[in-house]
Amino acid sequence: MGAYAMATLINEEQRDCYQEITNVAMGQAADRLARLLNVYVILPIPKVNMISASELHMALADTAVNEDVSAVCQGFIGSGIAGEALLVFNDASFSDLAELMKYKGPLDRHGELELLMDVSSVLIGACLQGIGEQLEISFNQGHPVVLGQHCHVDDLVKSGNHQWSQTLAIEIHYEIENMNINCDLLLLFTEDSVAKINQQVDYLLD
Amino acid sequence: MTKSSFEFSEMHWLMDVLQSIDVGLVILDREYKIQLWNGFMENHSGLRPDEVHDKPLFESFRDIPETWFRQKAEPVFELKTRTFTIWEQRPYLFKFKNYRPITGRASTMYQNSSIIPLESIDGSVKHICLIIYDVTDIAVNQEDLTKANENLAYISQTDSLTELFNRGFWEEEFQREHKRCIRSQNPSCLVMFDIDHFKKVNDTYGHQAGDEVIRTLSSIIKQTARETDICGRYGGEEFTILLVDTDAAAAVHFTERLRKKVAALIVNTDQHEIKFTISSGIAQFSPNFKKHTQWIEAADKALYHAKENGRNKTTVYQNK
Repeated sequence: MGAYAMATLINEEQRDCYQEITNVAMGQAADRLARLLNVYVILPIPKVNMISASELHMALADTAVNEDVSAVCQGFIGSGIAGEALLVFNDASFSDLAELMKYKGPLDRHGELELLMDVSSVLIGACLQGIGEQLEISFNQGHPVVLGQHCHVDDLVKSGNHQWSQTLAIEIHYEIENMNINCDLLLLFTEDSVAKINQQVDYLLD
Repeated sequence: MTKSSFEFSEMHWLMDVLQSIDVGLVILDREYKIQLWNGFMENHSGLRPDEVHDKPLFESFRDIPETWFRQKAEPVFELKTRTFTIWEQRPYLFKFKNYRPITGRASTMYQNSSIIPLESIDGSVKHICLIIYDVTDIAVNQEDLTKANENLAYISQTDSLTELFNRGFWEEEFQREHKRCIRSQNPSCLVMFDIDHFKKVNDTYGHQAGDEVIRTLSSIIKQTARETDICGRYGGEEFTILLVDTDAAAAVHFTERLRKKVAALIVNTDQHEIKFTISSGIAQFSPNFKKHTQWIEAADKALYHAKENGRNKTTVYQNK
């Protein structure tokens, strides 16, 4: 993370607080996933950073180097705070995922799409709900959009033309014990949400 | 207005809105029996709320695959999470016919759906709400775009007369294969060939006849080549085939078969019966070919040799 620009819009205390909130939320998400799949989900510490538009690609590139990925994106909005959740799956994960989800059909492009949608619903939904509950915000979720299947991570998000310069990013890496399943969840807030979400966090810190 | 009468009217307004909103709303209980069915659902299905009320969803709508739908809905009950389906997974949940004779270009409505938990007073989820969005226009446009892009890609890669790869795309593919050969050291062979005395064909029978000869030759190439071979029209009457994972001996066998087929062929045009022959040069990949152009030059040299030696011949490049 050293390559990222210095955080200018959040202070250390706020950063810790975001990390804590995300920890609780992803714990809840992992718990739901565990209940759904009957597995133990390994959780590292989430990364909280202010990133610039040009660093978005770096953040994504960290998720999967030289591997084909599939990804789903979903917008969320509530109480003036908005953003998108991006879930990136390593394509090698699908066979184990199919086994876990007891998916019976053929594991072709369509089968993988089903798995991608099912898992992203649970993971993104639970994580947003967890964050929302702590900040007392009820997020509205848009419809998920498939950004790509079997593509390179660089091709997921079009570079340039971003309407923002610096914003809050939360990265969570999920792994499942004894399984070759790897996925990354990236929560990216809109630039004008940052001040509002900071306010909510300060309120919690007081 | 008093507070309670305001709340009462607000309730009325909300009910009106839910009834007339252009989005489908269905409430299901734990047994998947329909509890609420709004105007959108009524209008598109032709079924009144009283006709579906308390009926199990899967009995009334057999198009919805039960196992599939339960897989999406059970987490909503159990985990209180929202789930979503998109038209790319399944074009529709409810089979609603296209209702727009002028602007509707699909036979059925494409649908996205959200399934959201409805909490009861005790906090448990005994009901879920299924929200149906009409995304026909988005889906049709997306499919048009995909088709248009595929078509554009095809046009930009294909030679229009022969429907083989055009030179630019063939070279791209060839370069990729050249790199692969350097890595794997597999014995792939490049074949270059052209039609003997093609200028004479054009001068004697006209350009239409010349085109017909080229078209006929291309269809023979397509019949003879394997699916993995990379065939292109390199120039006017010059063709290239990259025989992947094939050594020189097998390449000679392939090329001779092609040469004999062509020599035995008669092209019928309106007035004439045209016979023609081809000359070929073969170059097997060698690690000395550091650049892909060196490989092409080698095949070209062999082709030149075949021409020099009387045409209607196949020559293999000798790596000295």
